[in-house]
Amino acid sequence: MLRSLSRLRAKALRLSEGAVGILLLLPALALLAGLTLYPVLYGIWLSLHHKHSFFPQQSWAGLENYWFLLEDPEFGESVWRGVVYSVSTIVLQIALGVAAALVLNQRFPGRNLVRGTVLFPYMIPTVVAVILWKWLLNNQFGLINYGLVALGLIDEPINWMGRAYIMASLILISVWQFFPFVVLAVLARLQTMPAELYEAAQVDGAGAFSRFLHITLPQLASVLFVVLLLRTIWMFTKFDTVWLMTQGGGAEKYIRTLPVYAYRRTFHYYEAGVGAAASVVMFLLLVVFAAVYFAMFRRDERL
Amino acid sequence: MSGGTALVLKRLSLGLSILALLVFTAFPFVWMAATAFKPSQELLYWPPRFLPEEATLANVVRLFEQTRFVEYFRNSVSVASATVLLTLALATPGAYSLTRFRFRGRETIAATILFTYMFAPIMIIIPFYVLIRHLGIANTHLALILGYTAFSMPFALWMLRTFFQAIPLDLEEAALTDGAGRWRAVVYVVLPMALPGIIATGIFTFILAWNDYIFVRILITSDELKTLPVGIADLYNSSVIDWGMIMSSAMLVIVPVVTVFSYIQKFLVTSWGSGGVKG
Repeated sequence: MLRSLSRLRAKALRLSEGAVGILLLLPALALLAGLTLYPVLYGIWLSLHHKHSFFPQQSWAGLENYWFLLEDPEFGESVWRGVVYSVSTIVLQIALGVAAALVLNQRFPGRNLVRGTVLFPYMIPTVVAVILWKWLLNNQFGLINYGLVALGLIDEPINWMGRAYIMASLILISVWQFFPFVVLAVLARLQTMPAELYEAAQVDGAGAFSRFLHITLPQLASVLFVVLLLRTIWMFTKFDTVWLMTQGGGAEKYIRTLPVYAYRRTFHYYEAGVGAAASVVMFLLLVVFAAVYFAMFRRDERL
Repeated sequence: MSGGTALVLKRLSLGLSILALLVFTAFPFVWMAATAFKPSQELLYWPPRFLPEEATLANVVRLFEQTRFVEYFRNSVSVASATVLLTLALATPGAYSLTRFRFRGRETIAATILFTYMFAPIMIIIPFYVLIRHLGIANTHLALILGYTAFSMPFALWMLRTFFQAIPLDLEEAALTDGAGRWRAVVYVVLPMALPGIIATGIFTFILAWNDYIFVRILITSDELKTLPVGIADLYNSSVIDWGMIMSSAMLVIVPVVTVFSYIQKFLVTSWGSGGVKG
């Protein structure tokens, strides 16, 4: 009795303190509103203006910046390259990430250390990821060219930063850097899966692949739904990995994706209005993607 | 095929998969370290040697003496630390409020915060840059700290919220009914229990600020204010690439990350769902 009374009192205390609650949250919210939400809205406003990136003057442009994008062949190419880059890195990340998570979910000695090593590339600065691989892929002194020639797989060293291979190199580096995110998500899900599911299947005599297809994969559907959404948003808007790959020579113009286009318009051509318009288009493309994605899969009861 | 052979085969394939994973993820780091300790002339050996013949610290010495690496390092430490302090100072009361107080719109606010978590820097950086120039704080560390704090805020709030939710209300209520005020209850009961979560959130924030390239590239123009990622990228872009020096700089940048990584590894798998990892 006394206990329930005190609970009641504590509850009343909670209810009456709504104002304090808002007050505690206010500084964090103000910062988010001022430095994240406001810039998004301001970006839309900016995209409707002619604005030099450095000087304060701006003039109304209506939809002119958007018409400019439609007529600029570089813009269309950058969207297409962004799609190629996102789709290929996401497919490879998810395939490799799921496979790695299945391996790391097994019991073996030193498992924690191996897990840490596999997750580590995700935690390092992008600039480190890019220069490590540029050194490995170097066409004169690179270890990968040496290895491929020594194994007799190729006759001549490959120019990995040349036109033919630079996109493949960028995809390789991005998969290396970001597949641990998929490992992490899938591993978290695998750990909550009941062991009985497998035991029953083993009694039925199901093989490893069939167990994966019919038991594991359906269980992973919900986590892969979220992973695919987040990876799509973050790969399509990936700037630093792509940008750093475009630095230091090579056929850099063949990997200019949409984020690189927006950056170059703003900081090389000083057209902040056009850059902002490109960002808005990027945002809208993702909104359309998310709408289609949810419409296609969210009705599925299992997700 | 007997049961014994099947087991051996299974073990063997598991072992090989683990080996392949380790080579793929760790080898670039091994090669980085090997290169960092090689004298310049050894880098040109063909065929390349795996280990340095005469291991040397000459690359690190050159890095310290001929570049602003030490200055960049100091900048990185102060910007990342200030970001962690500001983020935790704002997010801890905020997350506590989201779990312990009831007010109108609480769930809407939480959902909006989750939505902003999905934003990537490039989506806001152009208007953010114009805004920062307008405020007159372009090319200052303050601009970086504000940018990183705003950017870590969504996951910091969500992560801390998960940790506060895990602390049973009964404990607080017991302290409250014992006559302790709410603040005493928070300081002596809630915060100590949430401490591992607060530290983990702080580490994720630190890594975000430590690793960032785009904010520094855009907001900082003076060389002496740059942090490590941009400093190293510019070192790489200088006319002749000194690979030994570049690899030693890469090695030193990830030292703090390796150090804190062992602490957060145990949180990684459990906390990915609350958004501690992003990128």
